[in-house]
Amino acid sequence: MNIIRQIGIVSLINFRSIKLRLWRSLVIVVGMACVIGVLLSMLSLTEGMLTAYKNTGDPGRALVVSAGAQNEGNSAIARDKARIIMDAPGIAKAPDGSPMADPGINSGVPVVRLNGRPAYDNLRGFGPKGIMLRPEFHLVSGRMFRFGTRELIVGASAKTQFQGMNVGDKVILPDGEWPIVGSFTTGDLLDGQLIGDTETVMKAIRRPAYNSVLVRLSSLNAFDAFKGALTTNPALAVDPIRQSDWYKKISEGFSTFFNVVAYGIAVIMGVGALFGCLNTMYAAVAARGREIATLRAIGYGAFPVAVSVVLEAAALSVAGALIGAAIAWALYDGKMGSFNVSVFKLTVSPALIGMGVLWAVAVAVLGGVLPAIRAARRPVVEALRAT
Amino acid sequence: MRYLPLIWSAVMRKPARTILTLLSVTVAFTLFGLMIGLNATFDEIAARARADRIFTNARFGGNGMPIAVAHQIAAIPGVKVVTAVSGIAGYVQDPKNQVFVAMVDSNLPKVFGDWGISQDLWDVVQKDRTGIVMSESQATRWHKKIGDTFTMVSKQMKRADGSSAWTFKVLAIGPDFQQNSNGYIFGNYDYIDKARPLADQGKIGEADLLANDPATSTELAARIDHAFANSATPLVTITEKLARAGNDFGGLDIKKITRGIALAGMFMVLFLTGNGIAESVRERFAEFATLKTIGFSSRAVTMLVVLEAALPCILGAALGVGIAAFLAGKIPALMPPGFGIPLPTMSPMVMLWAAISAFTVALLSAALPILRLTQMDIASALSGRT
Repeated sequence: MNIIRQIGIVSLINFRSIKLRLWRSLVIVVGMACVIGVLLSMLSLTEGMLTAYKNTGDPGRALVVSAGAQNEGNSAIARDKARIIMDAPGIAKAPDGSPMADPGINSGVPVVRLNGRPAYDNLRGFGPKGIMLRPEFHLVSGRMFRFGTRELIVGASAKTQFQGMNVGDKVILPDGEWPIVGSFTTGDLLDGQLIGDTETVMKAIRRPAYNSVLVRLSSLNAFDAFKGALTTNPALAVDPIRQSDWYKKISEGFSTFFNVVAYGIAVIMGVGALFGCLNTMYAAVAARGREIATLRAIGYGAFPVAVSVVLEAAALSVAGALIGAAIAWALYDGKMGSFNVSVFKLTVSPALIGMGVLWAVAVAVLGGVLPAIRAARRPVVEALRAT
Repeated sequence: MRYLPLIWSAVMRKPARTILTLLSVTVAFTLFGLMIGLNATFDEIAARARADRIFTNARFGGNGMPIAVAHQIAAIPGVKVVTAVSGIAGYVQDPKNQVFVAMVDSNLPKVFGDWGISQDLWDVVQKDRTGIVMSESQATRWHKKIGDTFTMVSKQMKRADGSSAWTFKVLAIGPDFQQNSNGYIFGNYDYIDKARPLADQGKIGEADLLANDPATSTELAARIDHAFANSATPLVTITEKLARAGNDFGGLDIKKITRGIALAGMFMVLFLTGNGIAESVRERFAEFATLKTIGFSSRAVTMLVVLEAALPCILGAALGVGIAAFLAGKIPALMPPGFGIPLPTMSPMVMLWAAISAFTVALLSAALPILRLTQMDIASALSGRT
């Protein structure tokens, strides 16, 4: 009899008898469900945030910030420098021949979360090319703000996190309140933010310089020419960066931190589940001692017996992981969440679930191997005699 | 006490099962300790926050509040004392090494005396305009001792001569305090004010104050915001109590998350211990029948089972919280410098909750086996017919 067939038969016998060992088997299932449920619930935050950051960064656009700036708020680009930047080569041209470039402004704006806690949201400025640069921008309700007017529009997701973010609400800015006249969606981080006319916002919050300049590259390959022109210009001290790389860079810090916390907690829980798995599989092997000895006596090999033990552990463990993943998915997938100023959709992606299943297999292999070896090594005669 | 040998022999009947159960419970309580310990730290920070302290910032612009606003706030009825704060945000040598120096006026110890800045210490710093005081953790981070020079670069805060380098002299090192796990650096407001371009002088970032009456500080904060709402410098004012409330980390409810994780860990071991004790009782059903036959009351048998279940739970809880305390001490070394997550503390409350959870898990896991034992028919159990 070949080994594969033996493994199949022995495993089948195991699985059919699982219901006799239901409670004991549930220890593995519940253990893994807890581990993977907690892990994926926590990672849904990082995954959602990373997706939002990734969607915001278009590799066909480049952002220019002042040299060394770690975020847009820390960057300042004077008006005369912005004009030099917008004249650089590599920038796509609008139908009227002007460069597809928009100097922007960014400011924190104090808001109140739905739970009453104080927080900050992001107020962004769009210039005349702001929308042309962002084909992903669509008005959802109300109207666009008028340039030169003290009006704002709000991202469609902001109201899921913050108070006073509906069309018709007012936002306190220096020298009086600004009405929100419309709501938009871009499908990325901007959905959680407020937008006004760059020049009018700058005047109100007394900022003489832009924070950054966003440009549409004439082609994906035009970035090097654009960057070269800016970095070799002695009049400028700026960092041009592909927008996708920019958002990747600023998402690295928090994603590392959250991943360390999530995986740290999951490893601790995983070790607990591993001991449970060992416990269950040792007991299962002991309970089936005579059955295993009988199989060995009629000619089944030690290896198929051992493999079948690991397979049983893996099946239970994966079942648990899937239950845990299903719970995390039901609780969090698609729910709106936020961290600091970022508003995004929590995500339990198929990739995350797959990773949870891999974890389950790893725990099952670690927790099944020792009991499997014991099962395979036990002398047949002794096992048959044992009561 | 006389039951101890009985319990011991029951527990050691299958040493592998007992040890694996104990390890699993220990791990779950390690997690429990870290999570609930973090909660305890947030609670303590919230409890230590002073009800009469209020922070006022300009709604827009980091350092855009005219110092006149601080003076106007000082004149609002109910305000005891105001200190003006300006901040220099920048880095040391490399933009990765972010640092923040708070530049504060002479009222600092009156408003923040409980943060380790005594009047004597602040007098020392004020002797030299470029003087600063660093908390111990910041001094360690930048390898500074008293008398050293500390230089930082700030792109946002330019000096009158156009340079962005700010040089300070470390005149004092102060104690850290739990509310601010990042530590602090305080310098003289006068220095930054006179060193900036004329157009930027007289601008501050923050005005912090004490209220006369802690009970009405929330109302006072609202009053301050209201007074400036339609001005050129609208403010955002918050009491320290609200700022330090323990359920908020960038919008995440830390309490809910930590409790959820601790609960998941408990649920995991509940199944394990419950299954273990049920098997143990099932295997020894006839033995329990014997005990009853020789005169053990139902209550005594119940106690035996509960204690057998409780032993690994209590021991595991104690070990787990111990390991959590040890790990909590190691966390600062693992964190990137300047990362402001407070450390879990194993307060008496945490230990109490661990004990309560351990007993709950033990009682819940023993419940079903006990039910079976109380309903058992001794004769059939002895004959092995169950």
